Amino acid sequence: MTDDLEQLYQTTYTAVVRFLYRKVWDAERAEDLAQEVFVRALAHKPEKPRAWVFAVAANLARDEARAAVRRKRHLTLLKADPVAQPTMAPAADTLVEHDERVASVQEALSTLTPRDREILLLWDAGLSYPEIAAQTGLAVGAVGTTLARARRRLVEAHDRQNPSKGTHAAHS
Amino acid sequence: MRHIPEDELHAYLDQGLSRSQCVEIESHLAACASCQAARDGIAALRDRTTALLARLAPPRSFPTQFETLRRRADLQVSARRRRVHLLAWAASIVAAVAFGWTASYLTSQGPTRMASGVPAGTPAAVARQAVTKDSRTPTTTPAILRPMAPDSTRARAPRRPVQATVRSASVAEAPASLVPTVSAAPELELTSIDIPASAHEFELDGMWRTMSWAGAQAEAGDKLPHIDGLPVVQVQVQAGEQGRQPLMVVAQQLSSGEVIRTIEGPAQDVSHLLARRTMSDPVPTVSSVDSSRASRASPERVDGSMAMQRGDRMIAITGALPPDSLLAMIRRLNAEMRSK
Repeated sequence: MTDDLEQLYQTTYTAVVRFLYRKVWDAERAEDLAQEVFVRALAHKPEKPRAWVFAVAANLARDEARAAVRRKRHLTLLKADPVAQPTMAPAADTLVEHDERVASVQEALSTLTPRDREILLLWDAGLSYPEIAAQTGLAVGAVGTTLARARRRLVEAHDRQNPSKGTHAAHS
Repeated sequence: MRHIPEDELHAYLDQGLSRSQCVEIESHLAACASCQAARDGIAALRDRTTALLARLAPPRSFPTQFETLRRRADLQVSARRRRVHLLAWAASIVAAVAFGWTASYLTSQGPTRMASGVPAGTPAAVARQAVTKDSRTPTTTPAILRPMAPDSTRARAPRRPVQATVRSASVAEAPASLVPTVSAAPELELTSIDIPASAHEFELDGMWRTMSWAGAQAEAGDKLPHIDGLPVVQVQVQAGEQGRQPLMVVAQQLSSGEVIRTIEGPAQDVSHLLARRTMSDPVPTVSSVDSSRASRASPERVDGSMAMQRGDRMIAITGALPPDSLLAMIRRLNAEMRSK
């Protein structure tokens, strides 16, 4: 059982960190929480570890978000201000552009309903339809419907913010 | 001909459909140009979403060694086990000692305390009133205590019924199954627990003031929890809510050099403090002085605490002492409080 967990750790740790990062928007915090998730998995020895790990991660992220709302640090991330950037020539430019690209997706993601966002992120983390259904309480048949809506809304919201870049990005 | 709905195409591309559903969709796609176009559009949308989300990735990091996590998990598990042990043990002490004090206290002062309307017929009624005033789980308390107070012992001691109301549940919110070792006999023997003798230092959260003995006496009068005749090392006070008695911790030194702490305050705060302390040392963090002691700690030398309750207040003594010494100490304190 523990060896299974070790294997799961090797294969899904990055996905769990990414999943958490998209909820807490703090890379270090996401790593801490991901480790906590696996420590708990080791202590609890769940039957379906993969689904369990993401369920616990979602719960931890939810607790974290509640705390973050209290601290009001939710929306400060990655709002790149070109003037405030140090003038370090090409590196700084690349950084700004990168930050803008990230921030625009982040904003688009924030326009989704919590449920749509959750399901989209779970899918992107590699969970199957039945796993997503089990975790969210949705019927398996409704997962496709939700994903269809979430994807459409994400892309629409993103293109609305970046009218010129939208068509570009479609190629990339 | 029925075209394939959008969500089904998503599910199809996401491999979220059964085999038979896939076959059905594929045979339709082979013959339907408009559904093929829809599928291609959805495939592009799907790729696009994945590409957008890929931007939201934290910087690449190197995961911690799995062994490290395994050790952390082991520590957590053993800490939880220790906690359960300690809670079970603390419950037994509270059950026995708090009973003795509550009963004697109430029998000496019962009539005055009973001014609040409950018929003061029996000591049991008196105690129950005092207890439920503040206990958050009054109804579960008897249930927890019942298995550890067999009828035979109940019959032996005349005052025994009172003890069914002792608020051990608030000190140790452990289910009954966790406290099988508790004995209801007054001549209770303390069971030792397998925690390292390292948790001498209280971790006190919140705002604490360290006071001089004289200052503390000026503030709290003779209510300071202490044992006469022992030098006082430290007095710490945490102001209570408005109108409430503060939470006080008095550290005193025995002639052997050991320090014991007597805590007095609202029962809830005291039990919180006790519970906190047991949780605060998942890793034995032993100070330099303590490490020698910890290394030669014998099984009968446990760091223990005991507590009793008077209405909604509680007194506890903690110290790295053999349990019988602590028990003797609490009897002494018991007697002193009674004589005041």
